[in-house]
Amino acid sequence: MAQNPSLVHRIPQSKYIDAIRWLSPVSALDRFAAVAYYDTDTNSPSIEIICVDPNPEGSSPTLTPQSSWTPPSRISSLKTAHSTHQPLLAAATFSGSIHILASDLINGGTMESEATVSELGFHSGPVSAVDLREGGTECVSVGEDGRVNLVSFVGDSSKLSYRRIFDANGLVGYTAVKWASPSEFATGGYGFGLQWWDQRKPGGPVSQFKGNWCQGKTSGIVHSIDIHPSRKHTCLAGGSSGTVFAWDLRAQQQPIVLSGAGTDEAPISLLSESEVWEVQYDRYTRSSNTSNISSTRILPIMICSEDGILAVIEQGEEPLELLAEPCAINSFDIDQQNPSDVICSLEWESIAILTRS
Amino acid sequence: MPGVSSGSGGGSLVPISPESQGPAVYPLHHCLKSPISRLSISWSRGNSLRVSVFAAPSSVEDDAGGEVVEVKLGGGDCEISDAHWRRIAYGSVSPFALLQSRKNAASSLSKMSMNSSPYGADWWDYILEYSKDINALLGSQKSASVPVIDDPKSVIVKGEEPTSLKAAWELLEMFYAEKPSHLWLPERLVDWLADYDSLFSGTHPTVHSKLVDFQKELVNLQVVEDNPKYWEVMSSALAVGWLDIVVKMLRLHGSYRLDQLSNRETENGLVEAVAVLISKMPRMRLDQEAGKLGECFKAKPDFVKAWEKWRGQINKLDSSAFWFQCAHQQTREGLRSMLQIMLGNANSLCSATCHWIELHISHLLYIRPFTVGLDSMYSLAQKSIQLKPMASAHRLMGLIIGILGENTEVVLAECLKGFGPWMVVHAIELLTAGSDHAEMLLLEERPNLGGISIEELHRLVYAQVLSSHPLTWQIAPIYLISCMKHGMVLLQILLSKQPVQDNQLLLKSIEICRLYELHSITANIMKIAGVHHWKHGRKGSGVFWLQQARDEYRLNRIAQQLFDSVGKTISDESFKQWEGLIQLMGSDSKTAGGLEFLHKYRDFKKSLQHVFDGKTTDAARKAVESLISLMKNPSTPQRFYLPLLYDSLKLLNWKDRPLLNVSQTNILLTKLQDLSMARLRPDFIESELPPQALNSVRLALATNLGRAILEE
Repeated sequence: MAQNPSLVHRIPQSKYIDAIRWLSPVSALDRFAAVAYYDTDTNSPSIEIICVDPNPEGSSPTLTPQSSWTPPSRISSLKTAHSTHQPLLAAATFSGSIHILASDLINGGTMESEATVSELGFHSGPVSAVDLREGGTECVSVGEDGRVNLVSFVGDSSKLSYRRIFDANGLVGYTAVKWASPSEFATGGYGFGLQWWDQRKPGGPVSQFKGNWCQGKTSGIVHSIDIHPSRKHTCLAGGSSGTVFAWDLRAQQQPIVLSGAGTDEAPISLLSESEVWEVQYDRYTRSSNTSNISSTRILPIMICSEDGILAVIEQGEEPLELLAEPCAINSFDIDQQNPSDVICSLEWESIAILTRS
Repeated sequence: MPGVSSGSGGGSLVPISPESQGPAVYPLHHCLKSPISRLSISWSRGNSLRVSVFAAPSSVEDDAGGEVVEVKLGGGDCEISDAHWRRIAYGSVSPFALLQSRKNAASSLSKMSMNSSPYGADWWDYILEYSKDINALLGSQKSASVPVIDDPKSVIVKGEEPTSLKAAWELLEMFYAEKPSHLWLPERLVDWLADYDSLFSGTHPTVHSKLVDFQKELVNLQVVEDNPKYWEVMSSALAVGWLDIVVKMLRLHGSYRLDQLSNRETENGLVEAVAVLISKMPRMRLDQEAGKLGECFKAKPDFVKAWEKWRGQINKLDSSAFWFQCAHQQTREGLRSMLQIMLGNANSLCSATCHWIELHISHLLYIRPFTVGLDSMYSLAQKSIQLKPMASAHRLMGLIIGILGENTEVVLAECLKGFGPWMVVHAIELLTAGSDHAEMLLLEERPNLGGISIEELHRLVYAQVLSSHPLTWQIAPIYLISCMKHGMVLLQILLSKQPVQDNQLLLKSIEICRLYELHSITANIMKIAGVHHWKHGRKGSGVFWLQQARDEYRLNRIAQQLFDSVGKTISDESFKQWEGLIQLMGSDSKTAGGLEFLHKYRDFKKSLQHVFDGKTTDAARKAVESLISLMKNPSTPQRFYLPLLYDSLKLLNWKDRPLLNVSQTNILLTKLQDLSMARLRPDFIESELPPQALNSVRLALATNLGRAILEE
């Protein structure tokens, strides 16, 4: 059970939730989130903007759908950009297309598809991950087909242009991607491998990290990457077997294992042995100030896992379990403006909203 | 499915209702323009059919030749949507699993202490906790939203729509889970009917529907006491024990109005006297909800005493002289018939109630308030059914008969027929809780069921239902592992059948394998996934999964295919693509199979690159070392011998001094010899090198040998 007092509400939905993200609020009162649903009864996917009414009278918050948009197939990855004048969404699908959606939260939360890339040959098979650059003019997409594509969209062109940065021809597959700076990004894939890319140095990854540290034990897949804007040299990754590690580009091949069965040394507490589906830096500071933490220490992070754990991990400290659900937590998002609020999608067709106090 | 008995005693496992409902028609929606020539029907997931519709060959080119549509069979439960059923299924996992683990702990404890009864005193608490958890899933308790301003004319509060499923579960809970205290059962039934009488309104007339109808009329009535329905409805509500509704309605009587109070004093006194008597009715129950009328008694002697006293007061009022002074005829008759109901007049009760459950409850309330024990309740129910026979029985009615008749088989069959496999599986836990007889009946292994018990059979059936839906299959394992005989095998089949295309789903299956330590299934799933990815051109993913499965056989097979493309593409430009794959494989040769060669080949290529860049002797020495180790390695395919040597011509002809010593050169020469022999075989694949390659390699090796001998 949760170790600290925080308010949790579980709101059952009648559809499976493929992905969930907070949208940056336009006013102090309204909170919005974007949810990628999949309705198994009708085999239809949808992306909906929902208004989250916290309902201060103590009962469960209410979710009111504002608008809905139908993608061509299920959503494999959903990202948002916050620093734009209206929230932008980048949605990647299992059929290999990318859609940029803009939502107008002031006028009733309507959603419009700004642009789409779905040409043959963009990706073969599903797009496994997408990331939208802050500022929202470019996004990068990767797939297990080994393609790394850069999609740029400027203003009103409804047809996006994309540029192939790399094509590994399926010899390497990528499963996660995250921007580090306007020209750099990191990808992750099989065998706990991470790659660092720089658009200024084309032709392949600038730097590669291979998780040889898990020698002898079963290897795994990186499911999610995060990079803190103030610590661009450190790439945080979460994946199979409860593994959460950081790759400091300055100390090339030695991972900093934060959780999981990665090393032979026992002291690292094992939070979970199953898949870590998502990792994010936790901006909600409890005691210490972030700026005081030395640059070699990893900032606090939040993870969610297949065995239903939502937890905060701080280097060298006991992890703090926020939720222990009987089913998997497939994705979560920390509100940028109110980092105390976390929204999670649960395997059993429900959304959990957590408010830390 | 477990061995479904055929021909053994002719008993069908699952009772099938004999009444045939006529054929169901499902329309097909397809967009084919040309006439249909052929149909092919197969089962899809769950209870849907996959129908392939083939059009007759048409002259129009771009017309689709066929279409596949899915037809969902059966409307399911009209009361509860599919999504709601799934929510119930998800929610019942934790209570069920908790109860199973407590059961296992209790039985292992009793084995150790040689105690005959495995379940301790707190066992009833566990059962009740389980039952309450399940009950909470089926809908919230009666809505507590009391309106701020009490409308005097609203006699019946409309709460959340109750469901038959919840009503059925509450019946099971009160009879099986609450530590048997049959003293309070009649009053529990009264409360139950108050909550769920509306469920019968759809098929039968009920007191509840009468009240609802009258409520609509009430708004337009000026003088209620003149309306015969007013009195009729009140008698009915009184008969089933809804005291507060009756008292509230009595207070609507015109004699309470201030302008009439003076000239209808006696009448008002009588109305109020009846109202007071009703609200003072003694009741045998544990606790009373706040605001509910009646006086509670927990012990029987006190109750009997109070009952006699109350009855005496009613008799006194009935024979009082005030009735003759009451001028209003309807009031006089109405009130006296209500007194008859409270005095337990069988005819009044029969005419005041609508269906047999209502009649049964009115008898329990007014004729046989001291009824204890299921057998007397059962005979009373039989009598009530005779008095109020039904054309068609509601599914809850069958369940009540089964429970009162203490017939476990009937209860189970009614649960299955009326509420489906979910209900049966979860109800069995309650049925076996208190009764040794039921436990024996349900847990006994039966040869006609293929050696499994009824309990296991129903769990397997429910697990099959769960498995057939893409969202609920993940909870089927919880039920399967509680099946001793066939559960594990079916779990293995279920996991082996899951799709492997999507990594997330694949990893979820593997996670379940890990939980139940099904390592061979894990390996199998990984192999299937590996081959699937490989076939679809995702070589990296394929190699990863095959490595995880430690499938050397397939790794060696795909290695041969990889080498074909290596020979052509591993030029300097495409090297970055290979780099990732080689990194993925790691240096652990055990998990890489025949692919180990690629690793060494990459090292060799790299060092050769250094030689061409820098031309230092040190770099060249390193390159020679990796060349020798490559050539010595048995995993190096023969067809790479010549290209490798041709690539290293520069090393063999090194200007300053010979880089290879005599023995090294001899190794290379032997390999070249092997190659010449191999070329004679028909399956040899010639490498794409210039024709003079072999000769130049031979010459270089010979020269090197000479120089090396001289040097030594």
